[in-house]
Amino acid sequence: MAQREERGREPAPGLVRDLTRYRRRPHGAERTAYVGMAVFLGSWAMLFVALFFAYAFLRARAPSWPPLDAPPLPRLLPGLNTLVIAASSAAVVRATRSQELRRPRGVTAALAAAVVLGAIFLLVQGVVWSGLWRQGLVPAGGPYPSVFYAFTAFHALHVVVGLAALAWLAVRARAGGESLRTDVRLWGWYWHFVGVVWGVLYLTVYLA
Amino acid sequence: MTPAQALMEEAQPIHPAPTSFWRRYVFSIDHKMIAKQFLWAGLLFLLVGGALAMLIRWQWGFPYRPVPLVGRLLFGESGVIGPATYQQIFTTHGLVMIFFAVTPVLIGTFGNLLIPLMIGARDMAFPRLNMYSFWTFLLSQLLVLASFFAPLGSAGAGWTTYTPLSTNVGMPGMGQTLVVAAIFVTGVSSTMGAVNYITTVIRLRAPGMTYMRLPLTIWGLWLTAILNALFVPVLGSAALLLLLDRSFGTEFFVAGASAVRGGGDPILWQHLFWIFGHPEVYIMILPAWGILGDVLSFFARKPHHWYRGTVWAMVLVTVLSAMVYGHHMFMTGMSPLLGEGFMLFTLLISIPSMVVVVNWVLTLWQGSLRYDTPMLFALGTVFVFGVGGLTGLFLGDISMDLYLHDTMFVVGHFHFTMAAASVMGAFTGIYFWFPKMFGRRLGERLGKIHFWFTFLGLTLVFGGQLLAGYAGQERRLFDPFQYTFIQGLRGLNRWTSYFAFALFTGQLFFVVNFFRGVFGRRAAPAGPNPWHVTTLEWTATSSPPPFHNFDRIPEVVRGPHELSNPEVRRLTGRDFAGQAELLPGDGAAAVAARKG
Ligand code: HEM
Ligand SMILES: [Cu+2]
Repeated sequence: MAQREERGREPAPGLVRDLTRYRRRPHGAERTAYVGMAVFLGSWAMLFVALFFAYAFLRARAPSWPPLDAPPLPRLLPGLNTLVIAASSAAVVRATRSQELRRPRGVTAALAAAVVLGAIFLLVQGVVWSGLWRQGLVPAGGPYPSVFYAFTAFHALHVVVGLAALAWLAVRARAGGESLRTDVRLWGWYWHFVGVVWGVLYLTVYLA
Repeated sequence: MTPAQALMEEAQPIHPAPTSFWRRYVFSIDHKMIAKQFLWAGLLFLLVGGALAMLIRWQWGFPYRPVPLVGRLLFGESGVIGPATYQQIFTTHGLVMIFFAVTPVLIGTFGNLLIPLMIGARDMAFPRLNMYSFWTFLLSQLLVLASFFAPLGSAGAGWTTYTPLSTNVGMPGMGQTLVVAAIFVTGVSSTMGAVNYITTVIRLRAPGMTYMRLPLTIWGLWLTAILNALFVPVLGSAALLLLLDRSFGTEFFVAGASAVRGGGDPILWQHLFWIFGHPEVYIMILPAWGILGDVLSFFARKPHHWYRGTVWAMVLVTVLSAMVYGHHMFMTGMSPLLGEGFMLFTLLISIPSMVVVVNWVLTLWQGSLRYDTPMLFALGTVFVFGVGGLTGLFLGDISMDLYLHDTMFVVGHFHFTMAAASVMGAFTGIYFWFPKMFGRRLGERLGKIHFWFTFLGLTLVFGGQLLAGYAGQERRLFDPFQYTFIQGLRGLNRWTSYFAFALFTGQLFFVVNFFRGVFGRRAAPAGPNPWHVTTLEWTATSSPPPFHNFDRIPEVVRGPHELSNPEVRRLTGRDFAGQAELLPGDGAAAVAARKG
């Protein structure tokens, strides 16, 4: 009840003070949703663990990696992309915080920023793909390109799903509303998850 | 109402039951209805898988002879099963049974039906996700059915789908692709279910339902869900890579033709498959273990012997099951050191398994046994699981496995555990919870006849397989008798086939019984608690329960097996007390304790 009365007031300045005053403890259904999402992401992570296992296995058995006739994978562009997706994650953190503070405009702005950054990520990834493709690296050329294309494409698919969800949230956030809180948070987790997977992918597939 | 109850009530408000046909029966979000949907879908495919098994047995009993009745229809003019068709028959038999028949019945049905009811919740944590899980599962079944009509036929690389046989090199047809896709899709369904089950048990246990008061059935289902959540995605990623190999020309599993580029590795599939596959065998037995734990206690009218020991043993089995997959790959040329590690853990698993089994036996010891049909099935399950577990020890020992690997002995072993124990465990559950699902009991007479056909049939058929394997008959042969040293086993194979036909025919008693129970109007209502047992679904609600399960969320005050306690008998005149039942004497004290 008390929370409802507070709703109209502007939050006081000072982020920490705001948070302690305005952050509401999650209620039962929200916590259930958190647990569910945590379980889901843990489970889904196993999908990627298995992929990385496959990669390690193939690489350990290959006579040479990369194969002698394969073009080297670029490092700079994907490296930049790592920064881009990290920035995108930061924007999502910002959106969650604005949601806590009940600033619908802030939520929309932060989510929009996250979506734009995510789109840039895909764009850069597209540039990387087409460059390698033109140099003759195609999926059907042995395990090396298989691993590269399968992993990056599968990851990009997750990015696309995340982008769609974040964009939809950004639109809904303009109207404000309490019910969005859990959605923003959980899709935020998903987005960080996709970012972390990219980090590991960058380290193992591009750099190592 | 206690404060804890009030909180749970607030978190799970009662919604009005849906009234339209579609919302009630088809796109239902009610866990009890989804359980029934899984039951129908699973039983239907059990029939499909069973029919395929009959064809396999026909081939081994009577090779090159036209199949009676359906031969001309299925296999063209001659009516004889050909080698390529035969390969598809045993492949789809295995896949259908494991992924599309036993899994939906054991996990889909009982998980959905029992988790909310036994922990005192109004529904699953995510009812809508639950509905999606069923529809995803149905899609996967349709993919399997579609594969039967694909040019070049269905999948034919064995249920293990080993590469390179399952790549385009071995199985170029569309059927194999459809089935691999079906495996992926059913995996997505299982994952959704698992997320739901795990979360529900963590979050929605009724007040007082501590982990150590959970019925063993829930423990089994919950641990299963955890294994599912962790390892089904591994299969998913294997299936995904195989699909890429088949459709986009990647080379994960095809050994390379070029020395420069190297190549994929068929053994990689075996690793991914068995990292999932060994936990999968426990995914299929843990729910049955749980059901046995409760049912044996109920029908022996005794608390389960050393409940905590059983719980921890089941937890330990769950953990260990993730560390032994290599015992399926002793013959792939793995390092002997690694092999011995896997052997050690494999044999270690039998220690907690034994704890579980011994606790069952001690639960029965000096109990006042009631031999209703569920109890008969439970006892039968103990026996067949015992045989299955003991044969596993032989296979887990490397030096024995070198001889027995890929023989019918392996087939006998896993049929005793997966086919006999899991299926009889599922039947135990069906007979036991049928009144809760449909409001009436299944007929005892038909049930008992069904039991004897099933129990003797399974034992004799799979016993025959063990013997044939011990004598050296290899598995998956189209015509085993082309080898002179197997020709002596013609009689054994023929007898095994006769028993198999009897087993299949005996299921008719179940079908009749089941349809009568579901649709017949003659039998009297079973009442809320026909078996006089203790858990919440029997003692805190009606049969079948209303849409919202419990008019009031129960407050649990004791463990799941309060049976034959003299104090309870003195107070109530009954030999059992419900988990949420407040007894006259302890009322004041208990209420005070809870207030404090
Ligand atoms: C006491 C515990 C058990 C031990 C020690 C054990 C051991 C083994 C071993 C070593 C193999 C590999 C044999 C080979 O391929 O050469 C095997 C195969 C198998 N086991 Fe078990 N097992 C046990 C329990 C179970 C249970 C509970 C199930 C299922 C519910 C099961 C299902 C299977 C299946 C499906 C296969 C082989 C599948 C195939 O190759 O197609 N086992 N077991
Ligand atoms: Cu195993």
